Amino acid sequence: MNREVLQTQDLAIGYHSSRLAREARKHGAKYAGKVVAENLSLGLAEGEMVCLLGPNGSGKSTLMRTVAGVQKPLGGRVTLDGRRLDKLSARETARLLSIVLTDRVMTGNLSVYALVALGRYPYTGWMGNLSPDDEAFVREAIEATGTRALAHRHIGDLSDGERQKVMIARALAQDTPVILLDEPTAHLDLPNRIEIVRLLKRLAWERRKSIVMSTHELDLAIQAADRIWLMSPGDTGPKAVEMVSGMPEELVLDGRLEKAFMRKGIEFDRTSGSFRIHNHYRGAIGLVGEGMLAFWTKRALERIGYRVVGDPSLPFRVEVSDNRRCWRYYDGRGGMPLEIKDIGGVIHCVRAAGEEGVVA
Amino acid sequence: MYDSQPLQQPDAPHSWPLLSPRNSLILLLCVLLVIFFVLDLVLGSVDIPFGSVIDIVSGKGSDNAAWEKIVTYIRLPKAITAVIAGAALSVSGLQMQTLFRNPLAGPSVLGISAGASLGVAMVMLASGSAANAFAIRQLGLEGSWLIVAASTAGAAAVLLIVLAIAVRIKDNVVLLIVGIMVGNITISIISIWQYFSEPEQIQDYLIWTFGSLGGVFGTQLSVLGVVVALGLVISFAASKSLNVMLLGENYARSLGMSTLSVRITVIAATSLLAGSVTGFCGPIGFIGIAVPHLTRSVLNTSDHRFLMPSSCLVGAILMLACDIIAQMPGSRTALPINAVTALIGSPVVIWVIMKNRNLKSSFA
Repeated sequence: MNREVLQTQDLAIGYHSSRLAREARKHGAKYAGKVVAENLSLGLAEGEMVCLLGPNGSGKSTLMRTVAGVQKPLGGRVTLDGRRLDKLSARETARLLSIVLTDRVMTGNLSVYALVALGRYPYTGWMGNLSPDDEAFVREAIEATGTRALAHRHIGDLSDGERQKVMIARALAQDTPVILLDEPTAHLDLPNRIEIVRLLKRLAWERRKSIVMSTHELDLAIQAADRIWLMSPGDTGPKAVEMVSGMPEELVLDGRLEKAFMRKGIEFDRTSGSFRIHNHYRGAIGLVGEGMLAFWTKRALERIGYRVVGDPSLPFRVEVSDNRRCWRYYDGRGGMPLEIKDIGGVIHCVRAAGEEGVVA
Repeated sequence: MYDSQPLQQPDAPHSWPLLSPRNSLILLLCVLLVIFFVLDLVLGSVDIPFGSVIDIVSGKGSDNAAWEKIVTYIRLPKAITAVIAGAALSVSGLQMQTLFRNPLAGPSVLGISAGASLGVAMVMLASGSAANAFAIRQLGLEGSWLIVAASTAGAAAVLLIVLAIAVRIKDNVVLLIVGIMVGNITISIISIWQYFSEPEQIQDYLIWTFGSLGGVFGTQLSVLGVVVALGLVISFAASKSLNVMLLGENYARSLGMSTLSVRITVIAATSLLAGSVTGFCGPIGFIGIAVPHLTRSVLNTSDHRFLMPSSCLVGAILMLACDIIAQMPGSRTALPINAVTALIGSPVVIWVIMKNRNLKSSFA
């Protein structure tokens, strides 16, 4: 097991409130504030990439802020590099932990290079002049994030994906063992999301950075994270949040991931590790065949609301021939099958039949 | 843990950007400052030859005693005041815009000018006949000290209120709104006071609000110079922190910066700068908002280590230019400086911004 650079012990997170503090004294409540989650004992190892998952409002941001030292914990402690967070000065913390926020930095006239250079703030003198070493760190951070070509550009002219990479470069220039990222893939399209996650994984692996990113993207987290911190509304109290930590595969297999995101109309497919939109079934349809063509035909039929069964005896069915790239459609009335050459035609026929009330 | 020396790029495909703007630009601004300073001394309602002006300023004196008086006691102090006021207002505007991340912020947003106005209004509109403005003017030098003291006290009073609030508020946007509200309250108190005052008293007050660079000399000029110098030193020292503030308060805090101490430093520096200038010269608008934009636009940087000195230069140049125009060379009348700064300055700013189109993204 690698050395743990970040630990929480019996951490209770939430919001301080003087009214609740008075009540706490009166009634002997445990914490002087509104508790979001408690008994959090987590560990982040060196070079580990953790995804913090949870539905909206489960307290992801509160946990991030508490670990970053921006918000005071209600109880318990956070340890950074073996030292208690509340005993560290702001400057010392800034050398151990950097963050990437969802805040949009839009200041014009600020070049990418100057922005990344601001990451050296905890190391520079009172005028903020960069030493050659500082500048080398800045350049290295820009190279490592693949933003070299953007160095001259102004931050206001960048696309969302480019800006996110620049903000990661800034965190990298801060040269901290721990990097926290608050939803770094929000507002990004799929290629950019994947690129950001790949970049973070690479930093965790090559630079031995310990990375925590909060995200909503379950499939991305399952694929990328070494460990998932899952926050879910628990069974014990109406507001209590349950926190589990584990390998993504563990959480999928024992059903805890599924439970956290459980809603009406959502179905978790443990085989593929993704959530499905649960449609009202129009009825069942048979599908015969194997391979990629059959897989996507199944997806299309499910999408239009059919329960797909692999039963070749059903009168209402579709047979797929993968090597001939064609579909044979049986309309359920016992007539001759219709040979169709494209998937759009198949779906059209099935839809038309469905409107006439044909069900297998 | 990763702690190896960062890699050096042996052969970069293209060079890394420089963090500092070109020195030639700053040099050009210095030359412009000297030119405008001399022009301000030479041009005026009385024609004095260039050579004589230079002789008088360099201490050689002149045969014409009237010229010597005009240059030493009127034009030179006025030009120096213009330089000080321009630099002070520009730097305080720059800091306010960065602190509040708002392109419309200026030295007046925290109610500092309004506080100074209230102080002056209290002196000028005070209902007792003994202390009316006419009597004050008869007092001569002591009277103008009274106005300066009143205006500084007014600015300081409003500032203390805003500071007391600033310590309790976490968000700079909220602080900005509070500052504007405090300013509004102050202005409305002045309005009510004016409503119950005699027309002559109101006229005196109105003339003060037009602003004036004249009338600051001798000890007053030294006091203004020392206070502004102190404010500038504090501002320059805050450059590094202001750069980080460009990222927003959350990032600034994560970089180990104490946002509260920066906020208090900036507010204190601004009140020294804007409060003293307003006290001595009246409320001069426009410069504080416009010069930072002009400077950012010309230098194309957001780095306060360069913006601070450059804003001083640009502000001083602009103030001198406005003063030259206000005197309307060849004419006996002088325009109020406050009207000229906005009338002449605004088109300049609009032109520069339209040309460069980089204001829009300055803040968002």
